[in-house]
Amino acid sequence: MRRLRGWLIRALSPVCQLRSDADIDAELESHLELHVADNIRAGMPPDEARRRARLALGGFERTKDEYRDQRGLPVFDTIARDIRHAVRLLRKSPGFTLTAVAILGLGIGANAAIFSMVNAVVLRPLPFRDPSRILHIWHTPPPQQFPGVSRFAVSPANYLDWRAQSTAFEHLAIYGGRAANLTGRGEPDALQGIAVSGEFFDALGATPLVGRLLGPADDDIAHAHVVVLGERIWKTRFGSDPAIVGQSIALNGEPYTVVGVLPHDQRFPLRGDVWLPLAWTAEQRAVRGNHNYLVIGRLKPDADVARGQTELSTISQRLERQYPAYDKGWGALAVPLQQDLVRDARWGLLVLLGAVACVLLIACANLANLLLARVLGRSREIAIRAAVGASRMRIVQQLLVESTLLSVAGGGVGLIAASWGVRLIVKSFGDALPRAGEVTLDGRVLAFTCVMTIATGLLAGVAPAWRMTRGDAGDALKQGMGRGGSHAGEKRVRTALVTAEVALALILLVGAGLLTRTLWKLHAVDPGIDPHNVVTMAVILPRVQYPKPEQRVRFADDMLRRVRALPGVASAATIDSLPVEGGGSTQPVAVEGEVPRPLSEQPEMAVRTITPGYVATVRMRVLEGRDFSDADRENRPLAVLVSAATARRFWGTASPIGKHLTLGLISDDPREVVGVVSDVKVHGLDASDVQAIYVPYAQAGGFGEMLLVRAAGAPMSVVPAVVGAIRSIEPGQPVVNIQTMDEVIGDSIAQQRFAMLLLSAFAALALVLAAIGIYGVLSYGVRQRVQEIGIRMALGAGATDVVHMILVDGLKPTVVGLVIGLAGSAALGQVLSTLVFGVTPHDVTTFAAVSILLFAVGLIASLVPAYRATRVDPLLALRAD
Amino acid sequence: MGETGDVWRGTLALMILKTLEALGPQHGYGIARRIEQTSGDRLVVHYGTLYPALLKLEQEGYISSDWGVSENNRRARFYTLTRAGRKELARESSEWVRTTEIVARFLDPERA
Repeated sequence: MRRLRGWLIRALSPVCQLRSDADIDAELESHLELHVADNIRAGMPPDEARRRARLALGGFERTKDEYRDQRGLPVFDTIARDIRHAVRLLRKSPGFTLTAVAILGLGIGANAAIFSMVNAVVLRPLPFRDPSRILHIWHTPPPQQFPGVSRFAVSPANYLDWRAQSTAFEHLAIYGGRAANLTGRGEPDALQGIAVSGEFFDALGATPLVGRLLGPADDDIAHAHVVVLGERIWKTRFGSDPAIVGQSIALNGEPYTVVGVLPHDQRFPLRGDVWLPLAWTAEQRAVRGNHNYLVIGRLKPDADVARGQTELSTISQRLERQYPAYDKGWGALAVPLQQDLVRDARWGLLVLLGAVACVLLIACANLANLLLARVLGRSREIAIRAAVGASRMRIVQQLLVESTLLSVAGGGVGLIAASWGVRLIVKSFGDALPRAGEVTLDGRVLAFTCVMTIATGLLAGVAPAWRMTRGDAGDALKQGMGRGGSHAGEKRVRTALVTAEVALALILLVGAGLLTRTLWKLHAVDPGIDPHNVVTMAVILPRVQYPKPEQRVRFADDMLRRVRALPGVASAATIDSLPVEGGGSTQPVAVEGEVPRPLSEQPEMAVRTITPGYVATVRMRVLEGRDFSDADRENRPLAVLVSAATARRFWGTASPIGKHLTLGLISDDPREVVGVVSDVKVHGLDASDVQAIYVPYAQAGGFGEMLLVRAAGAPMSVVPAVVGAIRSIEPGQPVVNIQTMDEVIGDSIAQQRFAMLLLSAFAALALVLAAIGIYGVLSYGVRQRVQEIGIRMALGAGATDVVHMILVDGLKPTVVGLVIGLAGSAALGQVLSTLVFGVTPHDVTTFAAVSILLFAVGLIASLVPAYRATRVDPLLALRAD
Repeated sequence: MGETGDVWRGTLALMILKTLEALGPQHGYGIARRIEQTSGDRLVVHYGTLYPALLKLEQEGYISSDWGVSENNRRARFYTLTRAGRKELARESSEWVRTTEIVARFLDPERA
């Protein structure tokens, strides 16, 4: 306690002191007087008395110093003094200071920006009550039918059984998408509705912004016409009017009463605009074989994820035995919601975080080199300080204070850079990241940046400080001004730093190179369709107004007839989900002639519902048989088209024309294969599975919400006329998600492009920093060796010899760094394997290309100082000193 | 320790407290002389350590100080033991006695 008080008083000494300097002087003076008086009393002559007294007091000044030191905490005092000293020094060399701050600012800024993304996407807890207790629950499909698929949507009947039989969950809720066309208020809009079971918001633990959320009482067909608005829609469509609660709005042509507003950050799933009660009919509740919903659960306080998982697995095994026709091979998977939401983004972000860490390390090495050069230039000053009694610790402390001061300035610059870097990233790539809207520089990012800044400063200062403590003061004093300590040891440190920079830069370049190749490969993938001049839009018919398939078919016929008649339109058709984009229906298929199997054991593949004219609109090719025609209607024989891959799978080399297959989810009637069409990347550019079956719209219940229009010229120019044609049939019909097919394909690889662009930016930064590093070390080396070079030239060495000598100095660390970097890249290849497509992580071309690039940059960075060395005037060089 | 040794680190504080207890308020010079005399001039108090030690004790609240006038009419800073200082002295002394006793037993087991 007392000791603490002592420390406190000492720490506070800058503001209030127990002893002033005058006090100390006076006390020691009186001490001397007392001693002198004593000595005189003992019989000494006055002179002798004073001399003895002074002697006994020891060095008067030193005693005073030690007395003063006890007043405060010497470390604080000297740090303050060091900071003042460092600021003076740094202001004297603004070029060095600006370079160092800029290098660190870029390094720290890149780290802060990427960390703030990791923070928002991976680390920050979801904005719900006890978010760690919320689980996302999936079906695991039978592996032989869905190889490589680990998560699958859930069927209503299975969910109801899980809910009835499990005990680990406080709430188990289910939700699914439901079209919600908003009409009656300005421009009609197709909102993304989320139909939720009664316990949905309790399971999430969400809190309303206004009004209330949905509860179990709402999940009933009798009272289901209530809706919760998402905050965004509430703002954009209803002017943030709180009085909207209690009012009625028209969704899908029916009145719904608004009961509340859900805050934007609590919207779940993220795509939702409005939330409606699920309100299943008895018929819908009984569906077991169709997986269209997702399940969330809130664990009881005493249950953990493992218990929830075990319980659901047990129940699922029971269901497999009970309903083998539907449930054979279908298991359950419970994953914490947060983990589930970011699972795809997680790897990419961690790779980026590793990349920026590399950039920062390179920046550190660069700064260490710059500091080392400075410190060696000051070795005489430091040697003098050591000679007059400064301890090693004090000198080390001074150097670390200097480097930390630089890194703090760099950290400040970095935060500014990060704040608009983050804005740029979110603006450019927001769609490729879940929860991207929540990326901000919060307290955690600031803390991370502070820690990183201090660590950077210390790390960069360590090498020069370590070097100095090993220097011999006398040695440095003997040497010429500003040229002390050019030992082999020092050169080794500098070379090692450059080698490390080159190695790290190479690793980054390899990563960027692999992702660039990936993107090239993805761009080069033939999607199987011709996307140019095609525009796509969603025309979602409200089921309330068009309950019967015939009505929807009639609407589509009418719409297509009017759109095709428009000037500038070459062709038009509909499909239920766009190619390449991913998603869309996969269904079990039974082929005629094979042993009948239950739905759950049948192979699954993409099934697409199209109107006649689709094949021509996207320019697929009919390889065999015929295309659909307007004659393939409800009351005609059932027809299907199969893709070439599907034909090969089921019938090998034999012709499939005239063969039959059954799509059990639509009906049990066999359908005749009338044609074979070319393969299309239905599941995305990077998916190898191109098996697909096409069904005519009129024979599949009229599912087909995406309208594709091939224009004669610029595709977007026909949009107003197309929308007008649709509205002429149904004035309140929303037309949304208007995009060219090129954009759809571009968006499908947005995440890869995002990773590639960022990684390339960081690799470029690393390359520049490494070049600066090589250049800096060499030009410093040349300056140090001016005399030696002068002597060599005086003795007859030509310019080539000098260039050769300097180049070898520069290229040796470059080559060693290259080799280390290549080994490191090969070791890290596995990390990137999830992000690359079409290239192996050990792609020789990439490795060779980036090595050549880095070597070339190293060569250029070395040539400038080498050239300068040839300009050394031997006479001047020898006369120096 | 040689014939005239340095005061051990750590024991100086104890000696200062004991001196102030015995003499009452005293200035730095007086404290130093007293310690040297008590040791039979076998100890030398370095003033470079004495004054920081006094300040440290004051910072920790064991002693207080103020300017006063010495016996021969000179201005000097006088140090006074505080209550906390008295307690600390009692504690430290008994601790010291115990320690020396134990060390003595080690050095001369016969006596135990």
